[in-house]
Amino acid sequence: MSLVTAHLRRAGVIFRNEVLVLPSRIAVLVFILGLLLLPVFTQDSYILRILILTSIFALLAASWDFLSGFTGQMNFGHALFFGVAAYSTALLNLHLGIPPWGSIPLGALGGVLAGLVVGIPCLRLRGAYLALTTLSFPIILMGVVFAIPDISGGELGISGLARLSESRVGDYYISVLLMLVLSFAMWKVTDSKTGIILHAIREDELACRAAGINTTRYKLMAFCVSGFLAGISGGAYAHVMRLAGPSTLEVAMSFQVIIWAVFGGMVSIYGPVAGVFILFPLMELLRFIPQARMLVFALLVLVTLLYMPEGLIPWIRDKIETVCPRCKARNVASRSNCRVCNAVLD
Amino acid sequence: MRRLGVLGSVLLAAVLLVGLCGTAQAVEPIKIGVAGPMSFTQGQGHWNGATLAAMEINAKGGVKVGNVKRPIELIKVDTNEFMSIPDATNAMELAITRHKVDFLVGGFRSEAVLVMQDIAMDNKKIFLGCGAAHPELCTRVTKNYNRYKYWFRITPINSKFLGKVIFIQLGTVAAMMKQAFGLKKLSVAIIAEKAAWNEPIVAAAQAALPKMGMKVAGVWRPSPVAKDVTAELGAIQRSGANIIFTSFSASVGIPFAKQWGELQVPAPVVGINVEAQKDGFWAATGGKGEFTQTLNTYARVKMTEHTIPFFDAYMKNFKEAPNYTAGTYDAVLLLAWAVEKAGTLNSDKVVPVLEKSKTVGTAGLLAFSKDHDVIWGPGYVTSLGTQWQGGKNMAVWPYKWEGITFEGTVPVKFPPWVIKRYKK
Repeated sequence: MSLVTAHLRRAGVIFRNEVLVLPSRIAVLVFILGLLLLPVFTQDSYILRILILTSIFALLAASWDFLSGFTGQMNFGHALFFGVAAYSTALLNLHLGIPPWGSIPLGALGGVLAGLVVGIPCLRLRGAYLALTTLSFPIILMGVVFAIPDISGGELGISGLARLSESRVGDYYISVLLMLVLSFAMWKVTDSKTGIILHAIREDELACRAAGINTTRYKLMAFCVSGFLAGISGGAYAHVMRLAGPSTLEVAMSFQVIIWAVFGGMVSIYGPVAGVFILFPLMELLRFIPQARMLVFALLVLVTLLYMPEGLIPWIRDKIETVCPRCKARNVASRSNCRVCNAVLD
Repeated sequence: MRRLGVLGSVLLAAVLLVGLCGTAQAVEPIKIGVAGPMSFTQGQGHWNGATLAAMEINAKGGVKVGNVKRPIELIKVDTNEFMSIPDATNAMELAITRHKVDFLVGGFRSEAVLVMQDIAMDNKKIFLGCGAAHPELCTRVTKNYNRYKYWFRITPINSKFLGKVIFIQLGTVAAMMKQAFGLKKLSVAIIAEKAAWNEPIVAAAQAALPKMGMKVAGVWRPSPVAKDVTAELGAIQRSGANIIFTSFSASVGIPFAKQWGELQVPAPVVGINVEAQKDGFWAATGGKGEFTQTLNTYARVKMTEHTIPFFDAYMKNFKEAPNYTAGTYDAVLLLAWAVEKAGTLNSDKVVPVLEKSKTVGTAGLLAFSKDHDVIWGPGYVTSLGTQWQGGKNMAVWPYKWEGITFEGTVPVKFPPWVIKRYKK
């Protein structure tokens, strides 16, 4: 009993000293609590649908950031992982009767396979060449989808999938929890030794190899992890929509992901998540001006990137927090001394 | 005492006024969601057709539900379905849960309509399809009647029948060629834009032509956005094709028709050319698109007694000819009729009325098969073939087909260079 109390007390101390001291962490906490408690206040099916899709796309955008932001493997065809997993999930569910809890992770393995298929030939490519090569893969697969309509359903796709759960609230919690847990896991990986290596590969791959790091293995791992997580979002999407169609492979889908991630802030995981949570519901709010909807969206993204080239969330974070020049700990911008080492802040 | 009397009168008047207002407020409008990609011509057609129908119904006082006449209120549901399927589903959910629409009409892209259909069925809302032609949308009604019985297709006829109509029109032109020029065996060039939806059409044409006693001269697949198809047209001319069978839905339909006219390729054109269905086609081709024939839904011919008044009203209000998504006009009128007959807005009671309905629409007699698909055939909806003649898009088919010739239909005309080439 005393052990439990000790752990609780320690958790309380960490919470007080590590979470409540920084506005960004408080914002994340409020965001998570808000998402988890929302159905207590409203079960409006429209709001829940928006947030279900937002959560699914947030996971997709974060998975793109893991590959392209952290590892620097600029992927312009991220819809491939999403689409392959959506189709795999649909086929598994429809033909083998595997329920969503099985079809989604198994379908995501299709995303891993796609990651390998793309990753291996792209190992030697960089920059624009890599981006253009990755862009071609979903286009090729789209052609395959139309060439085998008996399996893929052709232009109509595969429909009639089982629901993600029995209720909209159930769908909501599954999507939100998947997004929160997997995004947190990604964030932890990027904060680990592996994450540092991924950073290093992006900054100078040659130096990494000179330091004895098997960059090929890490790059392939990044492709597979990103493919798996994008695949989870693709599978969940297929079950929510009850359809896996050619639109999951469209070039527009790949670019949409990049816009969300770049708007929110690359190389952060939480940036792309925030980007989707701002832009996707915003498009719904803009329904009252249907003619100018896309224009306002484009202007907003343009202005944000013009004045906040690193993305919205890093810009806000830099305004409200400062990094200690000595110990690199983050502090509230209003502090004059570091909360950890007491060094004078700029 | 007198003051109390005045006060009493004022109070009485106020109560009466509130009562009257209450009665007026009790007449709730019937809300119909018009779902379509509103930034595109297809969505505009959806909206315009429904608007025209609502104007007509409301001018007559509304729809009689029980003893009360209720006006129609249209809700614009911008599905943006060409760009984003999630957008389409969100728009449907918004219309049903927030705007509380009673019925839905519209839809265009088959993949999106499948998902939109599911949302409507989840909420037991009657959804009259006016744009997507895929048979699967109606097959679902047969597979799971209790869930999908709220879906009906108004327009277009399903893609299987669309294919049938194109080949009938091709057969008609071929018969005319044989008769007019004494040709024995014809060869046909198939030219279809490189798009997924064209794959089954090209395959069907390659299979059907030999069965129809014609030879396939070759298959050409230009880009949907090609600006120059002179290479294809040159190759077609060299192949010795007697007829060109087209299948275009994108902008390539304009350069094709223009360059076909400029090069005077000696083979008449028949098939689908969506650009040739539009009013702007004549100007876009500088008149060179004359004699282009295409499958169509509306022209100013008397398919039924409602067609010409509808066509004229549409032209007057929207300054353009209706495209097939304007079939929402028939959909809204049919809903109003069915609601009056059922005496309620309850979907479960309106569905049996719609199933048994046989109403005269603007494109023919509207009736539904067991899978809630609009019936195609002589005496029902047949579709049209139109040809540009002297700057006007004239109906040329059906012409003496199964005994049907709509008033205002004219015979197909061959271009002078075709006549010159084959006339002995």
